Amino acid sequence: MRRIFLGAAIAAAIGLSVYWLLTEPFILSGRPITLAARTPDLANGKVVFNAGGCASCHAVPGQPDRLKLGGGLAIHSPFGTFYAPNISPDEADGIGRWTEANFVTAVTSGVSPGGQHFFPVFPYTSYAHARVDDIRDLFAYIKTLAKVAGKVRDHDVPFPFNIRRNVGIWKLLFFDAKPFTPDSAHSAQWNRGAYLVNSLGHCAECHSPRNFLGGIITAQRFAGGPNPEGEGWVPNITEKELSDWSARDIDYFLKTGQTPDGDSAGGSMVAVIKNTSQLPDADIAAIAEYVKSLPPVVGPPKPPKKANK
Amino acid sequence: MIRTTLVVGALLLGVSAVVAQQDLVKQNQDTMKANAKNLGAMIAMVKGEKPYDQAAVTEGLAQLEETARKLPTMFPDSIKGMNPADSKYEVSPKIWKDKAGFHAKIEEFAKVVTEAKPKITDLDTLKANAPAIGKACGNCHETFRIKKG
Repeated sequence: MRRIFLGAAIAAAIGLSVYWLLTEPFILSGRPITLAARTPDLANGKVVFNAGGCASCHAVPGQPDRLKLGGGLAIHSPFGTFYAPNISPDEADGIGRWTEANFVTAVTSGVSPGGQHFFPVFPYTSYAHARVDDIRDLFAYIKTLAKVAGKVRDHDVPFPFNIRRNVGIWKLLFFDAKPFTPDSAHSAQWNRGAYLVNSLGHCAECHSPRNFLGGIITAQRFAGGPNPEGEGWVPNITEKELSDWSARDIDYFLKTGQTPDGDSAGGSMVAVIKNTSQLPDADIAAIAEYVKSLPPVVGPPKPPKKANK
Repeated sequence: MIRTTLVVGALLLGVSAVVAQQDLVKQNQDTMKANAKNLGAMIAMVKGEKPYDQAAVTEGLAQLEETARKLPTMFPDSIKGMNPADSKYEVSPKIWKDKAGFHAKIEEFAKVVTEAKPKITDLDTLKANAPAIGKACGNCHETFRIKKG
């Protein structure tokens, strides 16, 4: 009897240690980094800011200034409601006290300066593929923006999803932090587009279906699916659905929000257009060329149409 | 007998009211499709896919202005939550939950169309003013329209 008890205790201790190790932020994903001194390129930082869509979540909602990064937007998900934090350079409530290394680790590894996992509602899963210099320029750019006072409320996420340590397991399953590598079979413009779409632009985060744990279903990347934020459907952006759009049509859409048939973007895409429309023409053209090249992928089945009550 | 007539009459009224509401929903869908058709034609000119056509632009702008005039009464409570049978989109319940917000977006759209209309006289002025109209469409669709497929 005593032996069984002892065995169970040892097994539990081993299990807990393994869990502890697997979910430890600094061991697997967020090793503290050191950065050599460098003069930031603020103009590039602004491009990164717009390509990354930072303002869509972190700008104070209900007011027009996209550069007021006080946070507070409620982001609904199947796992609870998240509230975008203050990332303005305010020392008390924003990221004013963060070092550049803190910022790079947060954005590319999803680990906070305090050594905790960020929830993957923050799309570091895509940002991880970004070039470190781009993220450093972004940090320098955000530092030039207005300080906004006010701490954002805590996330409203129920157990067990509120346990940040569990995100460590999620990262082992779904977080691929490989840096972007250009494909020499394609043009420089295509590669620029591939880089922007898959890293900073984080298009796949909404335009892909997710499994029950919230991981992207890789085989259906870019094939659309139910809107993770609630009602409605996020469109398939592969050739399966966009075959009658030219690269020029995609380009015009990212600039204006207007589809070739005169329709307009709706839902969260309206906020995305506010970002993409600020990008240099060459970058918009690059994104358009890359998106146009996505091979057709069948997405998840759409729900049947609701009849009128 | 009188009672039967009254009941049947009331039922008929009810049925015709539902039919009338379905008609309203269909009309709204047709209006939105006409907006897209007209804006689509202007976009094709902006992109250089079609030559500039003042007559088409004038007609399109007049139709958009007409839409702006109709919009405040296009979504009465009687068609709350009702959708066309064959549509990629559905109405958001927010249209009726946040009437003030909805009407603010309509006013924004009306203002953009009214201001753009006299300014658009050639391809350059179309290029300069058409995107603002599409943007106003999107600003309302952001909150008050739901994509279904």
